[in-house]
Parts: sequence; structure tokens; C-alpha cells
Amino acid sequence: MKVIATYNIKGGVGKTSTTVNLAYLAAKNSHRTLVWDLDPQGASSYYFRVKPKVKGGSKTLISGKCELNGLIKGTDFDYLDLLPADFSFRNLDLVLDGRKNPTQRLQKLLQPLADEYEYIFLDCPPNISLLSEAIFEATDILLSPLIPTTLSLRTLDQLKAFIKENKNKLKNLELIYFFSMADQRKKMHKEIIASFSKQHPDLLDIIIPYASDIEKMGIKRMPLGAYTQKGRSIEAYRALWEAILKRLI
Amino acid sequence: MMTKIALSFEFPDNLNVEKFITKLNKKIEYKLVSEHYMQKSFYDSFDWRLYNAHVLCEFNQSKNDSSLILKNSTTADNIALIKIDQVPCFANEFNRSALAYKLANLLEMRALLPLTTLELNVYKLNILNNDQKTVARLIIEDYWQFRCRVTIQPIKGYHKAAVNLHQLLVNSLSLTVIRKPILLAALKLQGRKVNDYSSKLNLQFDPDMPAGKAVKRIYKTLLKTIQINEQGVIDAIDSEFLHDFRVAIRRTRSGLSQLKRIFPSEITTYYSEYFAWLGSITSLTRDMNVYLLNIDAYKSSIPQYMREDLNPLEDFLLVKQKLAQEFLVEKLNSKKYKILLGEWEQYLKQFPAKETSPKKVLTIKQLADTQIWKVYQRVIQEGAVITKNTPAQSLHDLRKTCKKLRYLIEFFQNLYSINKIKALIKSLKGVQEVLGDFQDYEVQEDALRLFSDEMMRQQKVSSSTLLDMGVLVQKLDEKRCKARDEFARFFTEFNNPANKIIFKSLFAANSKKGK
Ligand SMILES: Nc1ncnc2c1ncn2[C@@H]1O[C@H](COP(=O)(O)OP(=O)(O)OP(=O)(O)O)[C@@H](O)[C@H]1O
Ligand SMILES: [Mg+2]
Repeated sequence: MKVIATYNIKGGVGKTSTTVNLAYLAAKNSHRTLVWDLDPQGASSYYFRVKPKVKGGSKTLISGKCELNGLIKGTDFDYLDLLPADFSFRNLDLVLDGRKNPTQRLQKLLQPLADEYEYIFLDCPPNISLLSEAIFEATDILLSPLIPTTLSLRTLDQLKAFIKENKNKLKNLELIYFFSMADQRKKMHKEIIASFSKQHPDLLDIIIPYASDIEKMGIKRMPLGAYTQKGRSIEAYRALWEAILKRLI
Repeated sequence: MMTKIALSFEFPDNLNVEKFITKLNKKIEYKLVSEHYMQKSFYDSFDWRLYNAHVLCEFNQSKNDSSLILKNSTTADNIALIKIDQVPCFANEFNRSALAYKLANLLEMRALLPLTTLELNVYKLNILNNDQKTVARLIIEDYWQFRCRVTIQPIKGYHKAAVNLHQLLVNSLSLTVIRKPILLAALKLQGRKVNDYSSKLNLQFDPDMPAGKAVKRIYKTLLKTIQINEQGVIDAIDSEFLHDFRVAIRRTRSGLSQLKRIFPSEITTYYSEYFAWLGSITSLTRDMNVYLLNIDAYKSSIPQYMREDLNPLEDFLLVKQKLAQEFLVEKLNSKKYKILLGEWEQYLKQFPAKETSPKKVLTIKQLADTQIWKVYQRVIQEGAVITKNTPAQSLHDLRKTCKKLRYLIEFFQNLYSINKIKALIKSLKGVQEVLGDFQDYEVQEDALRLFSDEMMRQQKVSSSTLLDMGVLVQKLDEKRCKARDEFARFFTEFNNPANKIIFKSLFAANSKKGK
């Protein structure tokens, strides 16, 4: 079982789109895959047409009284399941805070699923919080989409600094970051990407373009790959998934 | 708590797919995802290893898709699936996958053989909720030769939708629940059924049955095994055909030598010679098969970097096996083989089962008791005198005696309490295995030495291959010594006081001097 969390302190950068599309591609290759929608907004749940509802809400979930397995829903796609969001997840931080070792909690909860799934994607809400710390500890790969704006790039430095501070606990965490929603027609995007790549040699050289077929996911309510086989966008997601797989070996 | 629901259903008489879908339309929302013609073939080993493990192997071919699926035969759940255009014969010919792994465990050395092919139209329906989310799937299989079947594929987390669907199918649409896979019906159509072959003997006798009649039944069963396996031996489908063929020959020989008084002695001698010959013409092929089956084990017993160098040995064995197989096929096509086997069949049919003594008819129970008790005592005598310094030949002799006892017990096992017999067989098996290993390793060591001489003479062998074979001989020798050391432990376990009591209570009754 490998856990992949899409995360950025900043909102609206393409975390959910990345989660949904990569999970779809993993499952498409017959790998047993789970998406855990940790965002109270329930965007990934929405894309998979699953009601954002968890019996007992965040309290029951975090308490571990109810096995995660019983809350999982099969999506419309083979090998791809979803653990839906719930509106009560907005206070996940508080619930976690009430527990001993709150940052180890998610990892504990995921343990029983180790045999069930090869890949578990965590779709995370923005912000840095107790929940994000728990996510980092449970995660093998922290996948961070960046948009080519100076503000967004600053949050990457904050994230790096945080990981460095906690490097004892986060020994196994690998940070992978890449540009998303990049519009190659915009001169500013191009320039920012060029100068940023020079300063950050470990930047993944795969760019998810700003594209209307990706935007359409909201109307179609399904992953990109379920309605498009060709084009720059799906190719970019395929390349991204392959690059991640290489890191996982 | 989730209730387990039935998943497979059959159409009633007056229903067809079109009507079914129209009726469904009024009750629930669904989407017809696909509709296509399909050929569904079932596979299993000759001895039904998959079916006996509750596994069905289906090869489904349609215009755009061709896949091999393993299913649980009772729940119809998918266990594993791969996309594949042709079904390989052996598990080790598959690419690595969960399916290949499962198959390898179940099949071992047996070939995967096609059983039957059905033609059908398949309809796949997604059952939707208000969000147009699929909450269950419905597979309609419209067989050309059978009633249409419907299967619910539940989706995780949507149990209630599956329950509702079940109720709809049964209550509103009058479908009936089915629990038997279509394979059974398909085989019936061919006049076949599952488990129509097993290498295990399972003969039922009335204890008072005249011995002659019963023994004849044993021979007839063994003859059938020989005949059933014959074609597979000739075609060399897998090595197990020859294995079972030979076991049936050995059992027959063992019967002829141990249950002597049943037939006139000239008959016994005549057929004993024939079956001895039959055993001998099959042994070279079997030996080569065994070496080839062992080759992976050989490779893993030597260091990784040396393994490649063992390939020439494998090639050498393959050539030898091919020659041996040609020889065997020639013999099995010979007049001698066919005529005598026909005579034997005829003889078993005609033999009037007249008893030697007209006053008192020997029953099968009496014969079995006396014979097993006699051979058991021989095993104990021969085993008890074996010490650390006893020459190997005594162990080999004991191995043969044990085998005789084993065959007798297997012939007659159903005359006795099954639990007691099982325990005895188990501890006897322990002794047989350790003795078998002891002998096998020695035979293999000798054979490898002969092979290396032969390969040298053919001048096709490199020093590294010979070195490998040397290492192998040493490894085998270590194992042989280990088997020798372990003999005492297994024999003591077999000869424990509890077993002694069971043997005596089961078999000694008819022996005047039963001690
Ligand atoms: N590559 C893209 N091209 C065009 N639109 C995109 C692209 N990626 C995402 N979007 C759109 O941008 C919006 C935000 O994307 P998404 O929900 O994936 O981001 P997020 O980081 O998960 O947001 P949040 O922080 O709110 O969870 C969505 O409406 C999505 O359809
Ligand atoms: Mg999101």
C-alpha cells in the first residue's frame, strides 16, 4: 500500500482534479485504488457522484469505532473505490486534537486497508493544520500542484520549511511538486515557470495545462480519462502518473 | 449486519431478454452499457483441481474483449481476471499476475484443459440512482442452449441497492434463484459431469461380498484408470497422466502379488508379467519427467550466480525425455500392449468369481483383514531391526513393504472406520515419504553422475555446468543423509502404542495367531 496525498497550503490549485484523475489512471491499470476525500467541501465525492456523507461524521471516523472498510463506496469504475467526505470534516482538527498522538491517527486508521488497496489517494483540504500533520505522517508521497503565480510559489517554501522542521517524523515522506493550470499562452506563466525551474532542479518537468476539457469534469461528474482518451490534458496526467510510479519503485 | 443475498437467477419459461428489459424499465433506472455476442469456455485440469477448490475458470471471448476469469463457484464472485487472447496450457506460461499465482497453486504440474464452450449474448446494465451513479450492475447472459441467466454484481457500499434489485427480480419479475454454475448443465448436455475422474481410489464394498467379486471390482477400476489416462500419456498433455497411469499399473501388480488366491496361479503369473512389462516401458519417461519437474528446485538449491549454467542439463534432459516418450508411444501402440490389455478386460468380465473352497466362501472383509494384518506385521518386523548402521538396502525393502500395505489399505479403506483409517494412513505416509526421499535422492545422485558422464562423452558440456552438477549431487547427498536421520522418528511415530492397538483391533480378528 502506497499513500499519495495531494496537498497545497493554498486552495484552488488543482489538488482534487489531480487526485481524481491519477486515481482513475491507477485503477485503469487494474491496481486496487482508493480515494479518501478529506475535504468537507466533498469535491472528489462529487466527481464520483457519491453522497458526501459518513455515518457518525468525523468523531466516529477518527475514534476508529467504525472500520473504514465499512464506509467505503465503490465508484462506477473497476478497481476504484471512494471514502466519501462529510460536512463534519470541517472540524477534523478539533476531533484530532482531542486524542492522544493526534498526528499518528490517520496512519493507524489506514493500516487495516493495507491488503485491500495498492494505492490510496488522500484529497486534502488547503491550509496547514493538525490534520495536515497527520496526513504527512501517513503519506509516502506528498504531491503538490503549483500554479504559476508568485503567491502560490511562496506557499511551497512554507511547506518545505515545515517538512524540514519535522524531518524526524517525516523521514519517509517524499515531496513531489509540479505546475498545474498553467496557461502557456500567458507570457507571465511562461516566465515564472522558466525562472522557477532554474532555481528548483527537483521540480517535476510535467505541466498540467490550463484546459477546458479538465474544467468540464465538473459538468461531466467523472474523471477526465472516463470521457477523453486523447489530447494534451490526459497525456499530461498519464505522464504525471508514470513519473510518480517511477518514484515509488 | 449485512444479509448475504443470492446473486444469480434464471428466467421463467415465458420470459425473454427484450421483455425483461421492458419490464425493468418500468421499475428502475438503468443504462444499457453493452450488448454483445460471446463465447464462454470453461477450463479445468483433468482431475478437476479448480472445481474441487470451488473455483471456476472461464475464458470469455467477444469481438472487442477476451479475458480469462477465475470465479468462486459458490458465490460467483470474481477472484481474478486477466486480458488474454489465448489460454496457455500451464500455469507457469502465464505472465505474472494474481491470477497466474492462484492457478499455479491449484494446478501445480497439471495442464489447464478446455471443458466446453457455450455461445451466448451478454447484456450489461448499470443500475443508477438519482445522481446517475451506478449502484449495482446486472449481467444478462442469454445462452443459446439454456435458459437466460441474470447475475447481480453488487457495488461496495451499496448493499441496499443489491437487496432491492434481488427483490425486484424474484418478486416482481418471477425469476428463480440458482445456485449451480452453468458449467454443470453444460457438462450434462455432453453426458459428462464434474469430478468424473479422480486418481484416488474410493471403492465401496459390502463386507460380506465374496472376495473374488470384490477384487475383480478393484482391478476393473484400476483398468479404467489405465484406459482413461492412456491418450493423455500418448499425447503427453501433462506429466500427471503418466503418473496416474503408472500408479494404476503398480496397484494392479500389487494386487496380483498380494491377493494371490483369487485367480488361478497361471493367470496371476501371466498378467503379473504383463503389468511388470508395462511398468518397465513407462519408467524411463517418468524418470525424465521427474528430473524436469525438479529442475526449478535444483536451480534454487544452488547459488544464484550458478543457476544459468544448469540450462545445458535441462536441454539434455529434454532430449532424453523426447526419446523416452517416443519409445513409450511406440510401445503403447504395439500389439502386445493392446491385445493383452484387451484380454485382461475380457478376463475380468468373464471371470466367474468362483471361490477355491466351495464350502466356505471367503468374504472381502476376511481377505482384507488377513492380508493387511500380515503385511502390517512385516512392516513392523522389517522396521524394528533398522538402526543407524543398517545398510540402505533394508530401508529400500521396507519402503516396498510399506507401499504394499498402503495399497491394501487404500483398496479396502471403506470397509473400516474412516477416522481410524485416516490416522493410520497419515502416519504410514510419514514413513513412506521419508523412505521415498531417502531412495529418491540416492537415485537422483546416481543419475546425475551418469548424466554428466554422458554429457562429457557428447562433448557438449562446459566445466561450469559440471561444477553445478557436482554441487547438486552434494546438496542431494545432504538431503539423503537428513532423510536417513529422520527415519527413526517417523517409524517410531508410526509404531506408537495407539496405532498398534488400532491395527490390531481393525485387522487381527481373522488371524488365529493375532498377537
Ligand atoms: N488544469 C486545469 N484547467 C482548467 N481548470 C482547472 C484545471 N485544474 C483544475 N481546474 C478547475 O479549477 C477549480 C479548482 O480545481 P480543484 O478543485 O482541482 O482544486 P483544489 O486545489 O482541489 O481546490 P480546493 O482547494 O478548493 O480543494 C475547479 O473548478 C477545476 O475544475
Ligand atoms: Mg479540492
